[in-house]
Amino acid sequence: MRNEQAADLLFAQSRPGCRAVRMPECDVPAEAVESLLPRSALADRPPDLPELTEPDVVRHFVNLSTQNMSVDGNFYPLGSCTMKYNPKRNEALASLEGLAGLHPYQRSETIQGMLALLHSLQEMLGEIAGLDAVSLQPAAGAHGEMTALFVAAAFLRDTGQNRDVVLIPDGAHGTNPASAAMAGFRTLEVKSTAAGLVDLGDLAAKLDERTAVFMITNPNTLGLFDRQIGEIAEMVHASGGLVYLDGANMNAILGIARPGDFGADMMHFNPHKTFSGPHGGGGPGAGPIAVAGKLAPYLPAPLVAKRGDHYTLDFDRPKSIGRVRSFFGNTGVLVRTYCYLRTHGPEGLRRVAENAVLNANYLLSRVKDCLPVPHGDRCMHEFVASAQKLKAERGVTAMDVAKRLLDYGFHAPTVYFPLIVREALMIEPTETEGKATLDSFAEALQRIVAEDAGLLHDAPHTTAVCRPDEVRAARQSILKWTAPSM
Amino acid sequence: MPYIPNTDDDRRAMLEAIGAESIDELFEMVPREFRLDRLLDLPAALGELELQDHIRQLADRNTAASAATCFLGGGSYDHFIPSIVDFVAARSEFYTSYTPYQAEASQGTLTALFEYQTMITRLTGMDVSNASLYDGAGAAAEAVLMAIGATGRSKRVVTAASVHPEYRQVLATYLANLDTQMHIVGTPGGALAPEELDAAVDEQTACVLVQHPNFFGCLEEVEALAAAAHAKGALLIVAFDPLSLGVLKRPGDYGADIAVAEGQALGCPLSYGGPYLGILACREKFVRRMPGRLAGQTVDRRGRRCWVLTLQTREQHIRREKATSNICTNQGLMALRATVYLAAMGPHGLRSAAELCLKKARYAADRWTAGGLLEAAFPAPTFKEFVLRAPRGSVDELLDAAAGERIMAGSPLECWYPELADCVLVAVTEKRTKAEIDRMAELIRSVLG
Ligand SMILES: Cc1ncc(COP(=O)(O)O)c(C=O)c1O
Repeated sequence: MRNEQAADLLFAQSRPGCRAVRMPECDVPAEAVESLLPRSALADRPPDLPELTEPDVVRHFVNLSTQNMSVDGNFYPLGSCTMKYNPKRNEALASLEGLAGLHPYQRSETIQGMLALLHSLQEMLGEIAGLDAVSLQPAAGAHGEMTALFVAAAFLRDTGQNRDVVLIPDGAHGTNPASAAMAGFRTLEVKSTAAGLVDLGDLAAKLDERTAVFMITNPNTLGLFDRQIGEIAEMVHASGGLVYLDGANMNAILGIARPGDFGADMMHFNPHKTFSGPHGGGGPGAGPIAVAGKLAPYLPAPLVAKRGDHYTLDFDRPKSIGRVRSFFGNTGVLVRTYCYLRTHGPEGLRRVAENAVLNANYLLSRVKDCLPVPHGDRCMHEFVASAQKLKAERGVTAMDVAKRLLDYGFHAPTVYFPLIVREALMIEPTETEGKATLDSFAEALQRIVAEDAGLLHDAPHTTAVCRPDEVRAARQSILKWTAPSM
Repeated sequence: MPYIPNTDDDRRAMLEAIGAESIDELFEMVPREFRLDRLLDLPAALGELELQDHIRQLADRNTAASAATCFLGGGSYDHFIPSIVDFVAARSEFYTSYTPYQAEASQGTLTALFEYQTMITRLTGMDVSNASLYDGAGAAAEAVLMAIGATGRSKRVVTAASVHPEYRQVLATYLANLDTQMHIVGTPGGALAPEELDAAVDEQTACVLVQHPNFFGCLEEVEALAAAAHAKGALLIVAFDPLSLGVLKRPGDYGADIAVAEGQALGCPLSYGGPYLGILACREKFVRRMPGRLAGQTVDRRGRRCWVLTLQTREQHIRREKATSNICTNQGLMALRATVYLAAMGPHGLRSAAELCLKKARYAADRWTAGGLLEAAFPAPTFKEFVLRAPRGSVDELLDAAAGERIMAGSPLECWYPELADCVLVAVTEKRTKAEIDRMAELIRSVLG
């Protein structure tokens, strides 16, 4: 069924003379380009792009699309990524011309509806976070982390505190330490206990007058809610530091618990996870941040403000860190977030968390007998299984299991993350899957762990390609197409 | 709930299998003291019909650029988008998938990213392109961080007042916690004077960031600027307008070491500022310092050509605090849009679009300054944007009158450049017509004449 010819690279399909678009004739009197601009600035030929017809392009991309797994087509239990269903109404509404057709420099009287929407979104996210002020500017979760750390740095500078260390648990996502480094902080790792929670002894030993921020993911990357959070926040605050909450796992606690209430001073949301924004094959996302009142003056400008009945962009923020992005932000993603929140309301959001947690616990109960789950029988919205025993006994790795799942029509879980679990398979079903899907996934896993090791090493068997050579890719470093030499 | 498939019966059966009495019991890890004992204070749920009404009402309170005549620019432009761009980007197989970590389940996305990277390198004349960053401003800031790493010079970077003010603001934010000074060379003539750049760059300077065509629409003397930067061992970073490359020389041809851009012009809707596309391309020798994803070609077990994410040891999930950047989720779908756009436009379509922008912008500038009521603020040649100077104190009057006629006539520059308080930045794309330009000329005459 694979159309090899159409799936071949566009450059190889180029044929001189083919056109997919015809631009209009120039309707203004004009001289030739060469007399409008200095010759030294001009290209001597048109851009080196393929020449194709519209059917060529459509058939090519439709064929490529069939080589992807997707949430719309497959169960996609990629832990930490919250691959939930992306509502179609949000797509349709976000592309209304009155929203998608607005230029970022339009005057405020022509964008009152958009500003009202964004203002309301700021307020709703503040309420969900239990924090005082929200910036919608960051473009993704990692960008939100970095922005909040810029805010923390500006606050510390402004209040005369010389603190330059960010503490991060060993189970944290890689973006946490990378964001801290970009914000100019040194990082120190805090150990986890055997039970998968923050090691309070290690935290106490590392907290001191240099501590600027403790970044915690709660529920953490093992899918556990760290019940010590009250004590942790007290310890960090007592040492003069700030608590940052990585909100990637908010799906577990929407309407159940609020980060601001359990001690966080700042956090980011991942609307492309928690609030059903499509992941787009690698973005776009968004990374709104929420902060406590004392940090609010440092948020990026502008924020949306309401003055009487009129909405404006408030640039008058003298202590602001400035901008982290041009224009307003990933607005299209934020419109989808707004639609999602308005669809659910307070009861609905709570239901989302409850069903996400129920699904994860049910799947855990069905999976743990064939793949051990080292951190206990209960979890929040996701859990981490380990193929370590399988590897020791039969040489079958987490990667083998992941690849074999593709043959059964399931996308693989996240593998080899978090780093503190050997042969990790991080499984997050989300609330938008039903029991029947979870049952068939569990049955597939049960079957897979009993399959012949050789069959698993050679999986997947049903995809167009199998086990690309990554070492070769890195060594050869072929990062673009070049015409075959004659 | 609309997106939760389980029924009450399912839930009962699942709780039983888990061995839990209630869903509430599953939350016992969350200490009671932190459990919210009320509902969130949010507006009540809406069904789809009500939501449609509500969002349409909000949308109706806005004026879309397409319901007016849009001469706004400054990094976001009302360009033509072929229908197939939306068609391809709306395929669920693309937009509901994740970053292509599992290569076998993501060859569609990986192939498209490899094509994107190829197209960007061809368009720019650079050796390597990554698979997208957040936006043009972020790409410029990341390029500066790359240059600091590559040159080992962390003390000073140089840029110009003719670079988009928001790019400079973002860069300043990124540098605020590092030891790097950002020096801005003034551009009172609208473009950067090579001898002034020469004087500003020293042996401690990591890089020079310029924009070409610049924020005012003017062409910079890029070859001389490259020479001035390179003479002191600094790298040249150029922020370009992708559409301008339909007629202008490529950054790789005039000595850019890193080329960055806001890729919105390549098939992304205006969307009130985002999601857009950060483009970053560089010379081969800097590839290991690049931020972001890279798709690379390889073969599978059976020797079949295929693609994977590669050189990941640069990235946060492997290198953590030593990574070249913290970026994870990027703008993949916008890179796909750009790929489809460039495939549809082809060499000739892109060239025609660029020529139309240039010719119409020139016609508008000539027409609107003809009566002497407005004047061109700068003498340098321009591409699709230009700055007009109005008689003292009349900018608001002119823009208000235009707004009354549903013309978005331009962006006042005062908020960024107090010295240009009487000036307006105007963009003319291939979508603007002679009739629209002439109507604006009439309006200028009636308001200022
Ligand atoms: C726990 C955690 N933190 C942070 C991030 C970064 O978010 P983003 O990819 O939106 O930048 C992720 C995303 O994968 C994550 O799983």
